[in-house]
This record gives sequence, structure tokens and C-alpha cells, in this order.
Amino acid sequence: MLEIYINGMSCISNHNTIDENYFFGDESSILSSNQLAATEPKYSDYIPAIAIRRMSHIIKMGLSAGMMSLKSAGLEKVDAIITGTGMGCFEDTDKFLRALLDNDEKLLTPTSFIQSTHNTIGGQIALQIKCNGYNFTYVHQNVSFEYALLDAIMLLKDRDASNVLVGGVDEITPSVFELLSRGGHIKKTEDLQEPIWKSTTKGYILGEGAAFFNLSAETSPSTYAKIIGAKCIQSIVDSDDLINQLNNFLSEIGVGKDEISLVLSGNSGDVITDKNIVDFNNQLNLPIAYFKHLCGEYYTSSAFALWLAANILKRQTVPSVIFPNYSPLSNVDNILIVNHHENKQYSLMLVSVC
Amino acid sequence: MINIISKAQIKSVNQGVAITGMGIMSAIGNSVEETLSSLVNSKSGIEKIKYLETFHKDNFVVGEVKLSNDELIKLAGIGNYNRTTMLGYLAVKEALQEASIVDIKEARTGLISSTTVAGMCHTELLYKGFFEGKNNDNFFDYHLNGVSTNNIADIFGINEFVTTINTACSSAANAMMLGARLIKNNILDRVIVGGIDPLSKFTFNGFNTLMILDNEWCKPFDENRKGLNLGEGAAFLVLESDKCVKEKNKKILARLIGYGNANDAFHQTASSPEGYGAELAMKKALTVAQISPDRIDYLNAHGTGTPNNDASEGIAMQTVFNNKVPKFSSTKAFTGHTLAAAAAVEAVISILAIQNNMIFPCLNRSEQMKNLSITPVDKLEKNVELNYVMSNSFGFGGNCSSLIFAKG
Repeated sequence: MLEIYINGMSCISNHNTIDENYFFGDESSILSSNQLAATEPKYSDYIPAIAIRRMSHIIKMGLSAGMMSLKSAGLEKVDAIITGTGMGCFEDTDKFLRALLDNDEKLLTPTSFIQSTHNTIGGQIALQIKCNGYNFTYVHQNVSFEYALLDAIMLLKDRDASNVLVGGVDEITPSVFELLSRGGHIKKTEDLQEPIWKSTTKGYILGEGAAFFNLSAETSPSTYAKIIGAKCIQSIVDSDDLINQLNNFLSEIGVGKDEISLVLSGNSGDVITDKNIVDFNNQLNLPIAYFKHLCGEYYTSSAFALWLAANILKRQTVPSVIFPNYSPLSNVDNILIVNHHENKQYSLMLVSVC
Repeated sequence: MINIISKAQIKSVNQGVAITGMGIMSAIGNSVEETLSSLVNSKSGIEKIKYLETFHKDNFVVGEVKLSNDELIKLAGIGNYNRTTMLGYLAVKEALQEASIVDIKEARTGLISSTTVAGMCHTELLYKGFFEGKNNDNFFDYHLNGVSTNNIADIFGINEFVTTINTACSSAANAMMLGARLIKNNILDRVIVGGIDPLSKFTFNGFNTLMILDNEWCKPFDENRKGLNLGEGAAFLVLESDKCVKEKNKKILARLIGYGNANDAFHQTASSPEGYGAELAMKKALTVAQISPDRIDYLNAHGTGTPNNDASEGIAMQTVFNNKVPKFSSTKAFTGHTLAAAAAVEAVISILAIQNNMIFPCLNRSEQMKNLSITPVDKLEKNVELNYVMSNSFGFGGNCSSLIFAKG
């Protein structure tokens, strides 16, 4: 059977993940803020200076993460670019919307409108690397990245492409923060004293970031890991339902539950909507690690999780900050990523060592 | 590089996937039947703005679905959803009825929708008030692109493969392409594919600031074309595997046999003068369909009526068809440009053309475009046998897609 390899990858997150040598140190699992802004790279290293000025935060993050992934894979071209984004270019959307509402639809300029469409990121990557190939943007909220990944896998398996660039990106803007905050979605600052996996309070910590991957059916000297499978689940009834979904997924991909070395669990820290994933984890009887205290909750956080998993597999190191009951694992062969957003749109991904 | 297979090399045309149902809501009708009637009578749905609350109300014409939100709520009878979900729901419902699908769970059934601005028509009414502290409405929960898809999936009980695409004005073509690939890969047995975009002040003003709106009726492929007319609507098609079709002895409306996706990689909003992305998309679609260009009997062009698009697309067509361009027209002067839904709206129109042996005309034309050697069909043509029809859709971000439909 054809296997799918991650031959290059990049990650922009709250931490210094833009540095390929960085892999977490003595970070605290207790946070001091309820929003985790991305640590931005020097954009001019990846984007022509003249273009940067007009670009919003998400476009700069997405485009530079795409370029970083290509560099990490040692490629200049790909056959296909597939992007996932839950909210798309919200800063530009917000800007144009406010301008038209504040000025009663008069005296508007088009720049923010033309950059507001969700496929701007994929389009800008294509433009910069002159890629005339397949170009798709998935915008299905919390499983936008997973659908992009499934499409990439299908393209590679159908031999419609040899190298695919696939990524997930979302941004925090002041308007998004206010909307989600007043909607009761974001954790209050005074409730930040516990790690997300022991949370007794409502709300999540908002995050943002971009992670891109160069996938291929062939290995390369830069291969990180291989992707065995991914699955999106519209909704679940309860944690037993999620266990059943996992069992079906594992049998589809031919992996036994006892072969899973580590689970990366997408607990957000919201005591109510995390209930099913907590119960699910308790039933698994496997080592559980967490990631949303590093990247925050956002619609494409699973791309961060995939980057984390591929790094763990390549380095054979589990950073202690993600692993509350830290005990050294002898071999990390298979990592299961389980994600959800407010108890909706669950996803499963399985990644293996090469 | 893409090589077009020459006629001699062709062993067999790709059978593609069967289309067994379609549903549509647009300016020219609230069903497939009403749509056909408008097309046959050359009756455009583009009129003075009636429902969209905008400063520009008296100065432009648009293709609105001829129902207010209250009337849509009544017609849909599913409770209080925004215009996006209701338009999509009604189109999906009609498509499922035509495909005689009652039990969603009897086969692996997916839903792939597409939209550019999703719930914006609702968001823009509450946005300012929210940030000024005058309301606390949770419109954000209805704003995002996946919401209408999830609503429709929930109403019909679809949970196998549910996703949303936004590649701007080519979105629904990509939804159809993805659907066909999922069936071919035996991931799904059947899939409902299409797109939805309601009119909003946001898109209206966006296109207006780009100065690509014509405030009178648009004139696709006319030398004096000034720009596009915006439209709104939803259209969905049911794609099924041959196994599903055989088991239920279903009537096949047409087959989706070819699809191509490429990026122009030229500019965020403008098409390259030579239409390279469009050329690649059309060539890829022909390669997938395994037919030579001369087999295409009719081409439903993207043909927005903007100076840039029609020139670029026309040149690309002349290149792909080596100056033997098939009969073609743009039907956007009927419906307006329905953005993400456009490719699905035009898929329905292309299939109606195949079923009725007709070519629906390019309305409002009077003068030949100087930079093209080709002329669209501008009067309704009847009794033309159409075996293969190509449909183009292009969007911001350089996204270009092309589909090929074959007689069922």
C-alpha cells in the first residue's frame, strides 16, 4: 500500500517553533493569558518586502509557513497546494465590513475586500512560487485542515500529484476575540490557574497559527514521519460513540490500539465541552499528552498537533510540558491525535515513525 | 505538462459518475422546472434591487431570488435559519427528491457545499450594533462558512463526509470535482455537491469598489461589456456510483466525466491576458474525460461580463480548441453571478441543455469582441444534440476549474 510521508514542515505558533532546532524546554503548563498570539517570523525572509505591506496577519503567517515548509523539504515547486482555514481572512473581512458600515457604503477601497476571501492564502502561495497546479481551500471550521489533508492523501494515492503542500492557518483579531469572549467561549483570566487537562472552569484559551506540510508518497532525506490515516467525525453522541469511531478508524487503517505509543488530545480546557474527550481518554488506557496550552484553541489547531506529533516521532522525545504524567517512553512508534472544538467536529489522525 | 490525448489514442471515454438529481434556487426560478421555463423564454431574473438593503438600491440591477427571508422561512418550513441555510436547504431538498433518496443512511452519503461569504447577509446587519454594545447577538455562531453545511447535513441526517470549500467564484465546481473523486475512490457511494451564496452588502460593495459591476444588464462577450451583475442562489446535484444507480434502477440525468483544477498564478483578482489557468483547467478536464476537444458540443463559459474575464477566457478557449471553439454562451445574464454557487447553477443549466437539446443564449449582446475571433450563441437554439458539455468557473486567488458533462 502507498504510504504518505511528511518530507518537510513548518509551524508558526505562540512558541518559537519557527526555529527548526527549538522543541520546547521548561515552559509552564499554567498560562498567564487567555489568548496566545503567534511568535512571528521575520516575514521579509519569506515574502518580497513590497508585497508584505498590503498583507494581513493571516496571509503573512500562511504564506511564510508555506515557504518555510518548502524550504524544509528542500523543494521550490509542488504539484498542488491545499489550505484549510476555519475563519479565513478575518482581519480583512472585519476591515472592509467596518468601513462599509461606518461610511454608509461610501468611499470604500477594494484592498481588504479582495484579500478577504478564504482562498487568498492558497492563491498567494501559488502566486509566489508560480504554481499552476491543483489549488483548493477547505473552510469547514474545526476540520478544515483534516479535509485538506484527506484531499492531499487522495491526490497522492491517485498519482495525480507527487508533492503536495498542505496546511492549516487561522488568526486572532481583536474583533474575533471580542466576539468569542462576549459569546462566553473564552476562559476568564482569573480561571487560568489550572492546566487545561485539570480544568474545572468554562471557556478555552484562544490561539492562532499556521502549520504547513510537504507530503509525498516517496521518502526523502528530510522525512519526519508518515501519515497512516485521518478521519473527520461530524458529531458524537457520547464518549462511547467516540471509542467506536476510533475502533472503526483503527481497523480501517490496520493499526491495533495497543500499537499506539502516545495520544495527543485536543482538550481545550473547557470543563463542559471537554467532558466527552476526558471520558474517552480515561477509557483508552494509553499515555495521554496535550497540546492546546501551547497553541491555544483555534479551528486549525490540529495542524499544530500534527507538526508536534511528527517532531516527536522524528526526535523520539516527548516534551515534558505536554505530558503531565511524564515517564520516559522507550519507543514512540505511533501517535494518535484526537481533536474537537466545543464537543463538535471531532477528528482522528494517526502518524507513525519512519 | 498536460497532454491532450489525440482522437486516435482514445480507447474509451471516461464514464465518470452519474448525476441523478439536481435542485436550484436562483433569480430565474425556485426549482429546476421554473429555471428551464425562464431559460427557454429568454427571461432574465436580473432586476432592480428589491430585497437587499443597500445604499445602492436604486442604481443597480441584481439577480435576487424572488423571495424575502420571511417567505423563505415559510417555504422551507424548517424553522428560523438565515438566508444561506434556507436557500441551500431548498436546493438540496429538490435534488434529493429528484434522485428518489429518502433513506440517507442506506448508502455512504456525503455533503460537499461551498460558499464565499456564508452568513454575511446576517452578520452585516448586527455587526456594528454588537461592537457599539447595542446588541449581544451571537451571530458569529451563524457566520462561518461551515455553518450552513452543518445545518443542512443535520436536517437530512448526513454525517459521513461533510465539508465546505471556498475557492471564491470557482467553489461549486471544486465541490463537484471532489465529490466525483470520492465516489471513484470508493470512499462514498453518493454525494450531494454544490454551493450557496446569498447577496450581501459586503459582496455588493466589494465588487463595486473593484469597479467591475455593470449598473445595467451585463453583456457577456460583447465588445462594450462593462462588468458583471451580482446574483444569489444555491444549486446542488446528487452524484452516485454506478452500483447505487444499478441497484435502484435510477434515471441518470447526465454524467460528470471530466474535471480540472488549476491556478492562474498571475494576480489575486485579475486573470492573465492569455488565460493560462483557464487553459490548464479545460485541458485537464479533457484529459480526465478522455475525450478530444472537438467532442465538446457546447461550452457554458464563466463569462461574467467583465472586460478582463471575457477577454482572457475567450483567448484560453481559442487556445484549447485550436480555433475550432464549440458553440458557447454565458448564462450569467439570466442569473447574475452567483459566486460560490455559480458553477452548480451552471451545471444545472448545462444539464438542462443536454436533456432538452437546447443551447441557452448569451443575452444582451450586440457587438463582436474585437480581440476574439469567436462569437457566442445569442439566440435560443433548439434541436441541437449535445453529447458533451463543458462548463467553466474561475475565481479570485487564481482559482480556475472546468467540468465536463456527458449525456446520461
